[in-house]
Amino acid sequence: MTQKGKVIQIIKDILRHIVIVLMVSFWLIPIIWLIATSFSAYPGRNTSNFFPEQWSLQNYINILSPTSHTVNFPIWMWNTFKIAMAVCIVCTLFAVMVAYATSFFRFKSRKPLMNIAVILNLFPGVLSMISVYFILKAMNLTNTHLGLTLVYCASSGLGYLIAKGYFDTVPRALVEAAKLDGASQARTFFSIILPISKPIIVYTVISSFLTPWTDFVFSKMILNSGIADMWTVSIGLYNMLDRSLINTYFSQFCAGGVIVSIPISVLFVIMQKFYVEGITGGAVKG
Amino acid sequence: MAATIKKTNKVSDFFKSIGIYFKSFAEAVAKGDVFVKLSLIWVGAGYARRKQFIRSLLVTVLQAAVIAYSVLIAPQYISKFHNLGEVQMEMVFDINTMKNIPNDYDDSFQILLFSVISIIIWIVFFFFWISNVINVYKLQRKAEKGEHINNFKEDISDYLNEKFHITLLSVPVLGIVLFSIVPIFILILVAFTNYDQEHMAPTALFTWNGLTNFINLFGGGGMTVTFGYSFVRVLGWTLVWAFFATFTTYFGGILLALFLNNKRTKLAKLWRALFVVTIAVPQFVSLLLVRNFFANNGIANTMLENIGVTDFLQNIGLLSYDYIPFLSAPGWAHVTIIMVNIWIGIPYQMLIATGVLSNLPADQIESARIDGANTGQIFRHITMPYVLFVTGPALVTDFVKNINNFNVIYLLTQDVFTTTDQYLANSQAKEVDLLVTWLFRLTQEYYNYKMASVIGICVFVICAVFTLVAFNLMTSKDKEEVYN
Repeated sequence: MTQKGKVIQIIKDILRHIVIVLMVSFWLIPIIWLIATSFSAYPGRNTSNFFPEQWSLQNYINILSPTSHTVNFPIWMWNTFKIAMAVCIVCTLFAVMVAYATSFFRFKSRKPLMNIAVILNLFPGVLSMISVYFILKAMNLTNTHLGLTLVYCASSGLGYLIAKGYFDTVPRALVEAAKLDGASQARTFFSIILPISKPIIVYTVISSFLTPWTDFVFSKMILNSGIADMWTVSIGLYNMLDRSLINTYFSQFCAGGVIVSIPISVLFVIMQKFYVEGITGGAVKG
Repeated sequence: MAATIKKTNKVSDFFKSIGIYFKSFAEAVAKGDVFVKLSLIWVGAGYARRKQFIRSLLVTVLQAAVIAYSVLIAPQYISKFHNLGEVQMEMVFDINTMKNIPNDYDDSFQILLFSVISIIIWIVFFFFWISNVINVYKLQRKAEKGEHINNFKEDISDYLNEKFHITLLSVPVLGIVLFSIVPIFILILVAFTNYDQEHMAPTALFTWNGLTNFINLFGGGGMTVTFGYSFVRVLGWTLVWAFFATFTTYFGGILLALFLNNKRTKLAKLWRALFVVTIAVPQFVSLLLVRNFFANNGIANTMLENIGVTDFLQNIGLLSYDYIPFLSAPGWAHVTIIMVNIWIGIPYQMLIATGVLSNLPADQIESARIDGANTGQIFRHITMPYVLFVTGPALVTDFVKNINNFNVIYLLTQDVFTTTDQYLANSQAKEVDLLVTWLFRLTQEYYNYKMASVIGICVFVICAVFTLVAFNLMTSKDKEEVYN
């Protein structure tokens, strides 16, 4: 390469990295603002400066040791955790069961069932949720955690596609070998398929565990009574920005946001690896 | 053409298999022995004859339960299904307890719900009843041929072996029926009633009103002309939003992924991780934060005013306020929402695109490069077609998801954006509403269930038609490639 070509290449490289740094910093502005404000000594919204004038840890102390009934962050965390555990177990079981059945068995109603699942997936959750809400109301389950858990788990059987995509890649010879050795289908499922499907199970577990943590609309609809002790994190934090509360609680909202985000980010980063694998794996095979 | 032929084949196959099903039922009834015929009345008869006593007992219990339900519970709802009840709830003074207690009123919603459930139970039982007779006849044939007949233990082990899929699917399917299919039927039925704030079950009755709601929505009803107007406005913005939200993030994500994937980019992993941080924060935190960031008296406005942007915009006549109404005026809000969505959506698409790009056919690219193709040509003729092929279906589902993207719109504009359009306000809509957020507000704040149901059906039809057309186009394209 000539001297001139090298110089141009270096300039190009520098420009490339400047563009990246600019984009990254643009993307991180709100996140930095979130973290900075969570350490602010001023409780309300700081509308004149990006960074707080005085720093303090008070927001974290306040939000973790609640004094009022409208803001009770630890209880919201606990509520969400309880619901998330239940949802996680049921959803993972359902998704893996349906995926295994549709991937490893060839039965008459297989295709029709899968087509129905596609059509049902088209029905946006928000829509069927309205009538689910009616039904829960008729059963007196609105404003209960059981009702909310049911809503999250309800159609989890429909979320089997990614797990099925993974199961489709499992060599059939393994299953045949187990059959020849006299293992029952149930035994094959539990002691051969499940252990080698660890990645996809980790994915399903984390994604269903995250559902209640990241969901807003379902909990807003089901837990609408206004009793703060019943809420999950998302409605609780949303309510802290109510017009009458925002000037006392904005910084605490940021602190709460940071606390919730840390575990979610960790799980999310673990999960996204599997997510990409599931998406591409499933799509390539068609 | 090929597709249509294939489709009719599928449909005729479907009817054929139904025909075979009923034929084998008729054959079983005609050729079966006394016990098979007796199974028409007592479902356990055939099993008892073949000494499958536990199975016989189980199906008998099921039959008894269905009969008990049909006699004791179903009639009180089904009989009122035609007008959803007549007795209004009233408080009656009870002389014994000295208290006001409600009379024996009709709850229209309960009537609707249990009627639907009853009908589903009967349909399911009907097919169970037919299959049962066919099964029993099969057992008779087996016995005649002297073949082995399973005992209960062997039946159970069947369900862990050849029929393991039935065991696996039963509970999830039940969940889907109860929480997806029943609600959809209810939603469709409610669209044909007058269930709203003035007819709130259980305190008031609601009843059927035919197509009135649909006529109101599509602008036919004189009194509620605003609903038709709002529907068109909201639908228009929903489609514009879904288009921009999908394509900006999709192509932005691919470009960003390519940019970071480039060999000359140092520390690619670090940059990727920093982008991912923005989506790892839950949306209700990040979006609520952004909403305050762009508030009328928020930090973004302060900064822009300090550097003189606000004054500049006022001077050239683009701005009539002394702040920039990022999220509180139509036009501005639409642009801000799409920008915020780019911010939140690109890292996500970048992640997916990175995964797809790592599976690029490297040998094709190499041979193209040897043939003298430049980077742009490789991108256009190899990278892009490949990425489109792999993520095409995801693009369609993304579009549908964006039509129903509740979070972004609701969290950014609820309580912040108030409409000044009288027509929209009359039907509780806003310029920035998607169909789903409008529907959500109608049910949650105004209890207008009938209109919400109609809108819900419209959303479904739009999504379904779009998906079917898109997938059909995509598959026919694939075929072209095969022929070429």
